[in-house]
Amino acid sequence: MVTLLQAAPAPQEIISLILRIITSRTFLEIVFFPGFLNVMISAAFLTWLERKVIARVQLRIGPLYAGFSGIFQPIADGVKLIFKETIFPELADTKLLMLCALGLMMLAFAPAVAIPFGEGLVIANMDVGLVYVFAVMSLFPSVILLIGWGSNSKYSLLGGLRSLFQQVAYEIPMWFSVLGIVMLTGTLNLTKIVEAQQRLWFVVPQVLGFAVFFTAALAELERTPFDLPEAETELVMGWMTELSGVPFMMGFLAMYTKLYVMSALMTALFLGGWSGPGLLPQPVWFLLKTFLVASVIVVIRGTFPRVRVDILLRTGWTRLLLLALANVFVTVALISLGLDWVWRI
Amino acid sequence: MPDIAFLALSGLVIISAIFALEARELIYGAVGLAFSLIGVAGLFILLGAEYVAMFQVSVYVGAVVVLILFTIMLVRRESGRILDEEEPGRLGRAGILVAGLVALAVAGAVLLLVPVSLGAPEFPHVSLQELGRLLASSYAIALVILGLLVGATIVGGLTLVKVEREEKSTGATQ
Amino acid sequence: MGLDVWSLFAIFEVVVFLVAFPLLVFGWLMGARGKNPIRDAPFESGQTHLGEARQRYMMQYYPYLIMFIVFDVVAMFLFTWGLAFSGMSSSQNYLFLIFIAILVAPLGYASYLAGKRELW
Repeated sequence: MVTLLQAAPAPQEIISLILRIITSRTFLEIVFFPGFLNVMISAAFLTWLERKVIARVQLRIGPLYAGFSGIFQPIADGVKLIFKETIFPELADTKLLMLCALGLMMLAFAPAVAIPFGEGLVIANMDVGLVYVFAVMSLFPSVILLIGWGSNSKYSLLGGLRSLFQQVAYEIPMWFSVLGIVMLTGTLNLTKIVEAQQRLWFVVPQVLGFAVFFTAALAELERTPFDLPEAETELVMGWMTELSGVPFMMGFLAMYTKLYVMSALMTALFLGGWSGPGLLPQPVWFLLKTFLVASVIVVIRGTFPRVRVDILLRTGWTRLLLLALANVFVTVALISLGLDWVWRI
Repeated sequence: MPDIAFLALSGLVIISAIFALEARELIYGAVGLAFSLIGVAGLFILLGAEYVAMFQVSVYVGAVVVLILFTIMLVRRESGRILDEEEPGRLGRAGILVAGLVALAVAGAVLLLVPVSLGAPEFPHVSLQELGRLLASSYAIALVILGLLVGATIVGGLTLVKVEREEKSTGATQ
Repeated sequence: MGLDVWSLFAIFEVVVFLVAFPLLVFGWLMGARGKNPIRDAPFESGQTHLGEARQRYMMQYYPYLIMFIVFDVVAMFLFTWGLAFSGMSSSQNYLFLIFIAILVAPLGYASYLAGKRELW
């Protein structure tokens, strides 16, 4: 299957092979758009966006000096963090923490592989794309738990545990909320799901599913009102308390990468992906919708108070799950009435 | 020429498992287990069972390993480290030698007697849509039994919570 | 290039690794300055830390983890149902609906328990 590794070219051909690879569409897709640089720059952009939007909500201005309206602030932050000393507490497990920081980065970027940014603009058009994204998301709690434990600090461990239980509680409603879409389209392939929304976006028939998914996504992203793991007034930085320098940058970047990826996923699943009037190219529509979703999430952060942990867990396991199941039954009713022709191309 | 991906993934599974068994700290053991299970998921992908692979990652690495980690963390720190083991004595070393010879004998017998090809086997390809239909028709009974089992597990878990809370509020075991 | 999706995934992850790993190494090399007990202590808002950091926090929530495993497996079967839904006969659909009902009943019980606050 990994055919790439089985070819063994002669030395003279290597240079031409490298040139062919670099200019190939696959390579450009992976590295630039919609691949690595796209996700990286968008995540950094989201840190700026969040600081500006939160600032406006709180009647402040936010970053102002690094470039026009502080647009280069994320670059400044990144450079600063790279040159800071990587300090871990004396009894902390350095190897484990570094490994987990690396793992966080790789995990956060992973779902972007399957998300289609335009017709044919997807790095890996997986037939199991939807469950692939969920499988990757399900790996985060263990990594975060390891970071919380490895930091050997009460704040970190508490934050890690809270994050674990929170994400575990809201993952199930998230999965059940997309079951309706799977029923209507009969596929897990994200490209086909977007294509199926040509006539009507899924946000209409699956309103309940979208509401559940959005709420569960907020919990997965550890965003207010579910930001207990990072409760600044209680736990300093939660599980990231003892991270510093580059590992902290990776944890921080992983959170915003997750935000970007989840917003993109919501766009693809519910908001019609790249579809839009032909004035703008498809990827632009996709990005516009993604950043709209992300902006709503950011505004919610500035607006809602935090939920207490036992209420949080109870709501996720009972109310949200039942709502998601209700959505499934609504979908069953829809299909029985024969209305699913709308989404079958 | 055997598939490089297969060799690499098998290596990951075996080496991670050995690391998990030999690690000093239980936490490292759990991490080794996680890597081993991810390797198994990769093997599922090689066999064309992508759906199963994704849920292997999600259930085993995402849930079971988390449960193991959580349990390890509840054990007090002094016993989180495996105590210093003694070197295996003469009997122990003889035992390892015998075990190795037996393993070689079995492997040799299997390779010689059973026609084995080192490439990926021919597998019947079941489409995802077929899976659901098969579950509801050919494997219907199994599905219902599984549902009952799962339901019982949920009720059991809830009862555990209820009993613990009652013990806490009454303050004594009854 | 005609590579299958998982090779592309692997290549992408390799790219991320090639960026992240040197960054970590660079950050590690940038700082190393020797031990200092004040700097190396865990952060507790300025207090000297007392007691073990690794204690039995949040142990009362462990049944949630068990339920997570259970519902994870359930989700796997439900997705196979959802994928095949439109092509299945109604009797087969009823089978899966029975499956869901068997699982929703304990969930209803859980909601009922959640109402009685001291038990959940």
